[in-house]
Amino acid sequence: MKRTVDVSFPVGPVHPCWKEPARVKCETRGEYVVSAEVELGYMKKGIERIMKGRPWQEVMFLAERVCGICSVIHNMVFIEALEHISGIDVPRRAALLRVIVNELDRMQSHLLANFSYCYTIEHETLAMYLLDVREKVMDQLERITGARVTCAYIVPGGVRFDLRPEDAQALRLSLSAIGEEVMRYTDMFANGPLIALRSRGIGILTKEAAREAYAVGPTARASGLGDIDRRLRHPTYQSLGFSPIVRTEGDNYARIMVRFQEIAQSIGLIQKCLDELPAGPIRGGGIPGAGEIAYSMEAPRGELTYFVRTDAAGRVLEISIQTPSIMNIEACCHYMLTGVSSLADVTSTFVSSDPCIACTER
Amino acid sequence: MTILQKVKNFVRSRSIHVAYVDVGSCNGCDIEVLACLSPRYDIEQYGIFVHNNPREADILLVIGAYTPGWEEKLRGLWEKIPPPKAAIAIGNCPISGCLFARPHTLVDPPVAKHIPIAAQVPGCPPRPTEILSAILSVAPTIFADYEVKTK
Amino acid sequence: MALSLVAYIREFARVEWAKKFLAARTAPLVIPPYFRNYPELTGKTCTHHLFCMMACPAPGAIDVIRTPEGWQPRIHVGHCIRCGLCVEACPNGVLSSGRILESMFLDNTRLSFSFAITVDLDRCMGCGNCAVACPVNKLIDAQMSHGGRASTDDLLLKVSDGKCHVLHVEKCTGCKTCEHHCPNEAISVARLLEAVHSPEEEPWTS
Repeated sequence: MKRTVDVSFPVGPVHPCWKEPARVKCETRGEYVVSAEVELGYMKKGIERIMKGRPWQEVMFLAERVCGICSVIHNMVFIEALEHISGIDVPRRAALLRVIVNELDRMQSHLLANFSYCYTIEHETLAMYLLDVREKVMDQLERITGARVTCAYIVPGGVRFDLRPEDAQALRLSLSAIGEEVMRYTDMFANGPLIALRSRGIGILTKEAAREAYAVGPTARASGLGDIDRRLRHPTYQSLGFSPIVRTEGDNYARIMVRFQEIAQSIGLIQKCLDELPAGPIRGGGIPGAGEIAYSMEAPRGELTYFVRTDAAGRVLEISIQTPSIMNIEACCHYMLTGVSSLADVTSTFVSSDPCIACTER
Repeated sequence: MTILQKVKNFVRSRSIHVAYVDVGSCNGCDIEVLACLSPRYDIEQYGIFVHNNPREADILLVIGAYTPGWEEKLRGLWEKIPPPKAAIAIGNCPISGCLFARPHTLVDPPVAKHIPIAAQVPGCPPRPTEILSAILSVAPTIFADYEVKTK
Repeated sequence: MALSLVAYIREFARVEWAKKFLAARTAPLVIPPYFRNYPELTGKTCTHHLFCMMACPAPGAIDVIRTPEGWQPRIHVGHCIRCGLCVEACPNGVLSSGRILESMFLDNTRLSFSFAITVDLDRCMGCGNCAVACPVNKLIDAQMSHGGRASTDDLLLKVSDGKCHVLHVEKCTGCKTCEHHCPNEAISVARLLEAVHSPEEEPWTS
């Protein structure tokens, strides 16, 4: 097919709007984007090669450092994969504490993604408001786990630290404050006419295209795919009565709104966990054994899968990680960016799919 | 010291432009640098302005353990920054390689092999307060009397 | 346009916003007590079990050195990732970081180490380097011959029938000396870390 291309326009790798290096090459006709391609490879560290042959207590920390934003879920998926291999049971209290920490992590990740989007569309006021709320979430995360980003909270058989009564009280108080603020900012985002100009109807990913591109996470849920949420298959989430949030618009606006709604949903889940939290042990013990498994869970950005094979001493022989961002980045480049009517919307559309380059390249 | 130099010193200590470059980290330090922007830490009340344009920057925050993808690019990026300039290594990765400095790895730490590093902020990741105090303590000492020193 | 103006006026004409704008000061930059900072010495006596070094996931972050006052762990800033595993692994509470020691006392948790030695018989050449190098063997039978053969069966490692055999794995201290001395990567030591919450104690409730 013959195409008329005016300019091949590179965005990145170092770009003021992007937190991580990636290059998007847009072929444009005037302001209209004909096609886009992503070029990766600035962050490849070879984590899976380093992981091979190491005991789980080292791989656990490497798994956390696959992605610094959603570090809790990487920890959780790797440890739960090991537990499934060796048949280790987790006490109910520890399982609920895992959900609490995981949802706090999801909240801060979504707030960061929405901050990036608001910053990219130059709505700095809302962006700073969101970053301020994120600090409150980080405070709670730090209070429970003892670290802000790489928490190292989940170990085989349970969690490392118990939730103290005074911390639970502080968490409850803080959650209701965060909930009110997030509701206010959601309202600001949903009803802001200038925000709507930059977001509504831009970067549309239809339901069929999302299915075709194997989009995952909030990106897919904003296009009407709800059944891909892996939390539906997790026993603890099932017992909490989890149901995913789905929107049907499929544009930038829907993707950000899905994240806002998921933050509110996470607050509800944590409060439910706190209500149901039984007394009891938090560490059941157990030594990882030999086996092979593919285990998936829902990261803030979508489905995250670990393929792990271990030997009898709990050493990781083979490991391969499938992270959500690669699907979303491809969906973004091939479906969302094609047909964007202005080059100024390229960055905001790319950021709205919440790309995490560190996860993608590892 | 001339009055002009004094004015320059004063202005340079109150207006620091920062660019950050991620040369292969886990993202943890990136978001801690971003957290410095938040109203809690409010990096701009000290006159530090974070944006990602090397040509306007005074201080380059280097994050990450130097992956092969950056081999020719980091040096070029460093040379684009107009003097006076300084690079600060954020996190364990640019200092020692952190957990990635193992056999079979692709990274090539420390970053000090590739560009001159003025200060290091250890931690995996460092807290925003640590990053903030590092920038605040390095910038005045490097930029003070720059014209006198280079004469 | 008029709508957005109204929206902005409504946002910024609030008393709450004006108060915040006029009285905004960032809080003093303090590190909260629950943050796991670099481990510090508590002053208790180190017994040189080296569990801190075995648990540490970061290369070159901790070592134990001999000082005039006895053995002492030393943290290398720039390598340490502040995970706090060394604090949990130490049987004597020599190190402390954040609230970890306090939490371990409240939760009554303990990390325990056990060791497993696996010998790949296809790769083992029966050279006996591992058995000779093993410091546990040296204490039991200082007279061990260079081929790793010995008369006693109390040993940790022993060569018989041309292959290395593990006799008493419970004596292993996890030092990995055998692994480093094996020319053919046939022997490997696994350090099994297990964390348990003692059930007989009163559990911490919320």
